[in-house]
Amino acid sequence: MRRPPRSVTPLDRVRSWLEAPQPIERLELIRIVAPLVLLAFLSTRLIHADHWLSPIGFRVPYLGGHDWRQPLYLPPVSPKVAWMIAVLTTLSGLCLSAGLFTRLAAGAFAILLAYLALADRLEAFTVSKLGPMIALALCLSPCGARYGLDAWRRHRRHPEVPLPTHVPGGVIRYFQIFLAAMYSGAGIAKLRGDWLSGDVLWSHLHDNYQTAISWFLVRSVPGWAWQALQYLSLTFEVAAPLWFVLPWTRRPAVVVALSMHAMIGLMFGPVIWFALLMSTLLVGCYAPERWLLRAFRRGQQEQATGQEGVAVRQR
Amino acid sequence: MAEPWVPRRLRLVAAVLAGFYVLAVWLDAAGNGAADQVLPLPVRFFVQEAALFPHAARDIIEWRAQAWFCDAGHFEELDVRPYFPIRADDKESRFYRAMFFHLHQRKVLAALDRFIAREQNRAHPEARIGGVMLLSLRIPIPPPGTPEARYQRLPLADYPAAVERHYWYVTDKGEREQRCADQQADSP
Repeated sequence: MRRPPRSVTPLDRVRSWLEAPQPIERLELIRIVAPLVLLAFLSTRLIHADHWLSPIGFRVPYLGGHDWRQPLYLPPVSPKVAWMIAVLTTLSGLCLSAGLFTRLAAGAFAILLAYLALADRLEAFTVSKLGPMIALALCLSPCGARYGLDAWRRHRRHPEVPLPTHVPGGVIRYFQIFLAAMYSGAGIAKLRGDWLSGDVLWSHLHDNYQTAISWFLVRSVPGWAWQALQYLSLTFEVAAPLWFVLPWTRRPAVVVALSMHAMIGLMFGPVIWFALLMSTLLVGCYAPERWLLRAFRRGQQEQATGQEGVAVRQR
Repeated sequence: MAEPWVPRRLRLVAAVLAGFYVLAVWLDAAGNGAADQVLPLPVRFFVQEAALFPHAARDIIEWRAQAWFCDAGHFEELDVRPYFPIRADDKESRFYRAMFFHLHQRKVLAALDRFIAREQNRAHPEARIGGVMLLSLRIPIPPPGTPEARYQRLPLADYPAAVERHYWYVTDKGEREQRCADQQADSP
């Protein structure tokens, strides 16, 4: 007698969705671009590492250990150590992006970013909080298996081993869920704030974050359009999980989110690094597979053409 | 397929922690206080990241300092930007951030006062100061659609009287005099 087939439980479905292999390009895009964006954000601080982390600059004194403005008091370090931390952070970020000693670099980058975020609340922003989480997730993932120096060296040693085309889905699913939750949380916070009735966008365009573009928009966009943009952002953000889950709304959602980040980046000066970091995660997580494959293949083809050119010149 | 290097059991632990992290980020932004009650401060700090710009700004806030110049014997505006070189010209400057977070904490403002005096007296021994007044300016934001001039940083004296000033900290008179006297004694 035949056994009845085992029924598929919702848990099985969730597990198979979580573990479904994902194109390696999704992970490698985040591994290549996110550390560069994080370093670019940090660059204006790293070049003043002594002012940032040592008593040469202003340091907030110990506030007693129970103050939200000082989540953890880490005493200042000497200027020499501050410069060493800056150099190590830069090197680990660059190595991670280049896929050189990837796992070690990602681990070191995560620890250093967490230290920098906690060591000084004055220089900690959303990007500072996202950085360690992204680097840690990359460290625990098999990133660097392709499109990096480790992968290149491995391939030279063992050319017979085929290059991986996919990664286990867990880390990509994590980033996907995180993004949806982040947008949705942000939308609810805005809904509870002033975004339904206040002039939030308009009100933030006048201070020293103002760029040439935001000033141009302040003068040329009619007043009602700012409110309309607020409603569009709210609609996208609050329901973000839905837009990203449904296959037919996913692509428009990516376009709306990228446009939103482009506007944020262009209108609010230094917030550009946050916009770029979120855009990187967004493209890595949700951009159509075809776009990513095309971008990476084109990169590889250009690299191959360049190498052929060098070989011809050498001959 | 690229093989994971993390053992399966550790991957499960990481997945559970990742789930809690995402949930905490969402709950925090959604205004649920559960994460605040459960998580220790350093961990809570890392989940408070999604509630961005929920409120409209009522005014543009500018943070400024006036210093007591020992020789002149009065307060004048002091440009503190050279002493806070990280993003000196925007609101990510350490001076702006210190004032924004700690405007009610005298301990921090006193440390800021000592730091500014130290740096000014080291950089400009010919223009020594005995203390500071730390203040904010509240510059009104025009209604939407109103044409306006591009933002520029103006000297304190150029702001009209309509711009509200709020003084958050002034160095004690005795301390000011003491510092000026000490500096006079130290000078050759």
